[in-house]
Amino acid sequence: MLPTAKSSFKVRQQEPGAGQPRGPKFSSANAKRNRPCQAFPGIPGEFVLEAAPGVRRSLGASLRFDSILGTLFCTNRRVAFVPDVPPGAKAHPRCSFLHSEYDVALPCIGKLVAASSVSKAKVLTASSSLKFVPEELVLYCRDFRVLHFRFPESGLEPGAFRVTMAIARAQESDRDVAAWSDPTQLRNLENAQRSPEEEEDPAPTLLFESLQDWEQELRRLGPAGWRVSVANERFDMATSLPRYLWVPSQLLDNELKRAFAHFNQRRIPRLCWRHPGGSDLLRAASFHAASDPEKEDTRAVEALLLAGHARCVVVDTVADLPSPTEIQLAHVRLRTLCLPDPAVADEKWLSALEGTRWLDHVRACVRKASDVAVLLAERRCSVVLQESDDRDLNCLVASLVQLLADPHARTQLGFQNLVQREWVAAGHPFAQRLNLCRDGDRGEAPVFQLFLDCTWQLLRQFPAAFAFAEAYLLALHDSSYVPFFSTFLFSCQWERSRRGQHRAFGQLYTPVNGWRDAPNLKILPQASCSAPAGGGACLPSIWTWALHYSAQQRAQFQNTVYTRASDGHTAPPGCSKLKATLSETGAVFLLARGALAPQPHLFPWKNGSLVKKGPWRVPSSDSLSDQQGWPSSYPALLGEVLVPACVGPAIQLWRRCYLRGSPERQHGLFPPTLSGLTEELELLQECLNDGHWRAAAPPSPAESEEAGSPLSPSR
Amino acid sequence: MLSKAAGGRPAKPSFVSYVSPEEIHIREPAGKEVNPYLLPGELLLCEASTVFKYVQEDGSNRGTYGKLVCTNFKVAFLGYESASDDNEPQFKNKVIGESDITLHCIDQIYGVYDEKKKSLYGQLKKYPEKLIIYSKDFRVFHFCLRCTKEEEVKRIVSGIVHHSQTPKLLKRLFLFSYASAAPNSPDAKNRTVMFDTFKDWHEELERTKGNVKYEVVSVNEGYRVSEKLPLYFVVPKSFLKSVTESILVHQGRGIPIWCWSCHNGAALLKMSAFPKEQDDSALQMPKLLDGIYKTIHAPPYEVLKMDDLSSSLPSLQDIQTAYTRFKQLFLIDNSIHFWDTDVKWFSLLESTNWLEIIRRCLKKSVEVVEQLERQTTNVLLIEENASDLCCVISSLVQVMMDSYCRTKFGFQSLIQKEWVIGGHSFLDRCNHLRKSDKEEAPVFLLFLDCVWQLVQQYPPAFEFTETYLTVLSDSLYIPIFSTFFFNSQHQKDTIVSGESHNAQSSPFRLLTVWDWSVQFEPKAQALLNNPLYAEKPKPDKSQRKTTRFKHHRQLSLPLTQTKSSPKRGFFREETDHLIKNILGKRISKLINSSEELHSNFREFYDSWHCKPVDFHGLLLPHIEGPEIKVWTQRYLRWIPEAQLLGGGTVAIATKFLDVMEEVQKLQKQMDEEHSQTAPEDADAVPTLRNSARLSSLFPFALLQRHSLKPVLPTSTWKDLEDEEDLAKRDDEFVELSGAD
Repeated sequence: MLPTAKSSFKVRQQEPGAGQPRGPKFSSANAKRNRPCQAFPGIPGEFVLEAAPGVRRSLGASLRFDSILGTLFCTNRRVAFVPDVPPGAKAHPRCSFLHSEYDVALPCIGKLVAASSVSKAKVLTASSSLKFVPEELVLYCRDFRVLHFRFPESGLEPGAFRVTMAIARAQESDRDVAAWSDPTQLRNLENAQRSPEEEEDPAPTLLFESLQDWEQELRRLGPAGWRVSVANERFDMATSLPRYLWVPSQLLDNELKRAFAHFNQRRIPRLCWRHPGGSDLLRAASFHAASDPEKEDTRAVEALLLAGHARCVVVDTVADLPSPTEIQLAHVRLRTLCLPDPAVADEKWLSALEGTRWLDHVRACVRKASDVAVLLAERRCSVVLQESDDRDLNCLVASLVQLLADPHARTQLGFQNLVQREWVAAGHPFAQRLNLCRDGDRGEAPVFQLFLDCTWQLLRQFPAAFAFAEAYLLALHDSSYVPFFSTFLFSCQWERSRRGQHRAFGQLYTPVNGWRDAPNLKILPQASCSAPAGGGACLPSIWTWALHYSAQQRAQFQNTVYTRASDGHTAPPGCSKLKATLSETGAVFLLARGALAPQPHLFPWKNGSLVKKGPWRVPSSDSLSDQQGWPSSYPALLGEVLVPACVGPAIQLWRRCYLRGSPERQHGLFPPTLSGLTEELELLQECLNDGHWRAAAPPSPAESEEAGSPLSPSR
Repeated sequence: MLSKAAGGRPAKPSFVSYVSPEEIHIREPAGKEVNPYLLPGELLLCEASTVFKYVQEDGSNRGTYGKLVCTNFKVAFLGYESASDDNEPQFKNKVIGESDITLHCIDQIYGVYDEKKKSLYGQLKKYPEKLIIYSKDFRVFHFCLRCTKEEEVKRIVSGIVHHSQTPKLLKRLFLFSYASAAPNSPDAKNRTVMFDTFKDWHEELERTKGNVKYEVVSVNEGYRVSEKLPLYFVVPKSFLKSVTESILVHQGRGIPIWCWSCHNGAALLKMSAFPKEQDDSALQMPKLLDGIYKTIHAPPYEVLKMDDLSSSLPSLQDIQTAYTRFKQLFLIDNSIHFWDTDVKWFSLLESTNWLEIIRRCLKKSVEVVEQLERQTTNVLLIEENASDLCCVISSLVQVMMDSYCRTKFGFQSLIQKEWVIGGHSFLDRCNHLRKSDKEEAPVFLLFLDCVWQLVQQYPPAFEFTETYLTVLSDSLYIPIFSTFFFNSQHQKDTIVSGESHNAQSSPFRLLTVWDWSVQFEPKAQALLNNPLYAEKPKPDKSQRKTTRFKHHRQLSLPLTQTKSSPKRGFFREETDHLIKNILGKRISKLINSSEELHSNFREFYDSWHCKPVDFHGLLLPHIEGPEIKVWTQRYLRWIPEAQLLGGGTVAIATKFLDVMEEVQKLQKQMDEEHSQTAPEDADAVPTLRNSARLSSLFPFALLQRHSLKPVLPTSTWKDLEDEEDLAKRDDEFVELSGAD
């Protein structure tokens, strides 16, 4: 099929050409600049701009706190602090990529403040001039960390001044994040990283860039009634959609193509997930304003919406949820509130927290998702998430619904697949939303961070249902601000491939100018980043955790409390039949503000015209599960759905993420108690086994029990 | 007709196992006689049949019919249809059933007349059609009385109102009828120290190594000195000899009473202040006080600092107001109200001020800890009766500093020492006798809430769980235990001896709440113990403590010296002034200027939090804004919207217990292998596992049996289903049958 054709489309070996102008130039710059700093283990392509030894990093603003002595580096990629190794102690083998609490990638710096006892604190930008020698430097990071560096009091003031200014300039100049590192060497480094521990990765994360990824995932969901369409393989139907789409199998591609024009950005309804009970979750953009159902043939649209069901519930995602602008506003307020030196008194903290409205937004999302998840479980219908351009909140709601309803999505692999499918492949405009390039703040909105917060709420409410732990979510949260990974750099698959292609060709012809903005991305498709790339290079995917988190840190990603869901999760027989035909029109309902309302016309309704403002939940005495005559749906399946609580006290602040800046407030980060117990268990079992060995006793029932026990620690 | 009146909503067919109001004529409860389970000494006062109890007030009319009875102990609802056996709750209180409310637990009673809610009290002229009872443990009961006979309604409503709301005599407490009727069970060996004997106090002194400078005195035997003071108490050595006569005059006021000694010798003391009006004796006062301070301010005693709690902490009135407002957030009529509050939840919470009061108490305690631990000064807490906030602060300080108080028995002993024997007026503060609202203040609940904050911040440091605290707070309203039903030891002793004379039977014995087997089966009791509590190995203890202590000393020694020496002089010179202030009850920041105190406090607090936590050492709470939380288990446990199926901390606890069990099993196997003996004492481990998906409100989940709360209230589904053309029905049928 087509992918094979594509794979022959790889970039010709342009790397030497790309690498040449950089290597010597930088290495020479590096060499002549900082002799003493050669110990700094940089990423390939990284060079030290300025360094100041003898800097103390303290945990808090005042001298009360313990501090660590080390060297502060400013490189072209990041600000790094390398603690001095006390003589005699074993040197820490420090890996250059490892996520460290001491390093900040330049785009992650939110605010840089220099302070001195003789002058008042000053916020530094590239253009600002520093009129005093800073005694202390505070880095406010966008991932809510706050780093304090104190410079030595005597002798090295010029160093303090220089490094401060270097950071101030570097944070502004580093605009092209795609040029973050030299990919060739990265690839090598990546391999070097991986080889010693030999990844235990039997099933790599699906990147949903190849046909087989989509097919494999559809097989998992139960493919009956659906197929993978290649209609958009060349992005000629819709640029922001992924190459491959899941569509009803009875709809042919040429029929399908007629539907594109009816939707904003040509984003047609397509399958996200199938409930084992037979319901389908779809997502789509709003109807295009210009499309007129009276005149045009809308059968394809109907077929897409109904997806073979008699009923279709359209969920207006925008209705109860905050807009990206509101999310951004709340996030900014939250960040201000969580600064280490709060202007808010303790007794006013709660109302200040409420004032940010962040938790309100979290609540709204969780509530919406749980409504949809229950709806999917209770009824046999198709549920269509509809947002005006289907690229922000639809991503969020679609993924949250799956987290609630699909146990697989709550494993680490499943979660990564989910993010890859519903966010990265589906075209969430990460470049704009994360704004790592800092080209205008207009589109910036932490929708993905909001999703992570919602996920954390679920994890907190259902600690045993998730295979990953809070540390994993934190790692994902932090990594989304590090432009070192390709995952969150682009807005859609098309951009990803186009930029790669364009730059590659551009470079072939203009190698001299090309290097500055060339990301040197390997042209897509590529089955997975971890596949042998045959000399090709690309920025690593964020999912290669081994690259930036140590084994010890990664061990904390696992949730020790996780109880595997019972795997009786297969589709009940008979529900895979799709009886509705193309011509049949079904009933359409609209879910908004927590209530279902019938929709007299299938199609279309204009953007937002149907949303009436009103109280959130219409008081109503009856409910779905309550009605007589309506046979109780699938209680067993409903039992599989996590139903989160959304009431005021149930939604809480993710303090390990947001309150990290305050030293007083961070405590007991990852309580080791359960892992301690597990260790003890392991130890005991070993002792017991040893005992058996020595006594040469026949295997006791205990041993077989251990083997069968779900609790025997995985090795 | 009935349901129309019920709220103008069309009657909904009921939940499968319950009957709707319409069906009552079909399902006459005849022949189904239900009888209440009565405790010894419990008398049935009145009853009403065919009362409809709503399952949960979520706006639906689901519910069940049964009999409502009122006894001299409780109000109980007995359903005609007994719940099926598999729904038997695992965590069952043997004394109080699921739909029982003890009379002391009733908070407010409302009647609904024509959709209007009115508070019920005194003599009623008109009887309501619906009765709403709010209980002090945050349950809300809705009873519909429409199908009940009129005279029964009259009897039951006025009965409940009368027995729960009108003032009572102390002797009419159920306690006494229970104690005289109950079979005297052999006194179980209880490791809780009751502090009602000389020996108990002596041992406590020895345990804390306070016996060098303090001694137990028995001057109050027979309550000669004061009725507020316990029989035995601890004072500085040779203190009483000098001032005995004047003490007698002042009924024990002005005596610094020892609470606890720190490992470094500093002691926590409390003293009741002199009343405002001092007439003739006022003249002797300076002399007397001077004597006191001369004694305990000079070596071998440490420098003394005084802290007048009435000026530095909120008043009892504030506490009561805050709690009343706070409580109202959780006593919700139905879920719709709850939806309305979420958006402004945090500001509502803040405006109640309850969490702020908790914060202030914790902060005050940390300040006291700082003075004891780092500055090595004695701290004297002063309050009017030394029995309210003094109890809160002194107990909290001990919980933070003394790891023994974080064990179950240690904690119980602490409550016994500081609260029960210490003379906290439980009877007045809980308003058990409904005599006057003015004295009511949830001081003990405040203390429990503060302890809960500590428990949730440092779970491994405590031997008990939050469930223990919740259950303890509930026991406050169960009038079969004597613990929380007296104002002082004196009151209890006099009334018990009086009763014993009257009864002339076997020795009259009151139950103590610490005998948990009265309330819970061993299986349920296991839920009160924290499986993660790591007991400290004994030999290790002293060693670590000393090293740690030394380290501290070195740190704080220069500080202490520089700070304490000027203070000594200051103190002496200002004594007269000070005494005037005590007399005038206007002590404020006299000893410690507030800024200095604040900076000391901050420094101590910050430096402690920078270090890793030793769960057996000093424990300081986090008191910043985000760290003080709502005691979810206690306040939200009956609210269905806050319930998570298969979630919450219970899920973690379940896992913990599983692992623990496994570890224990393996350990046992190891032992067996070594010793070749098989000891067969299975520990009572609660088997949480057998129910696959527990609710997050687990030990209290009343609503477990209702599979799921309705998520999407829609009438439209059904209506539309009906309208849908018949042609579709075949399809529908196939679809549904296929799905089953």
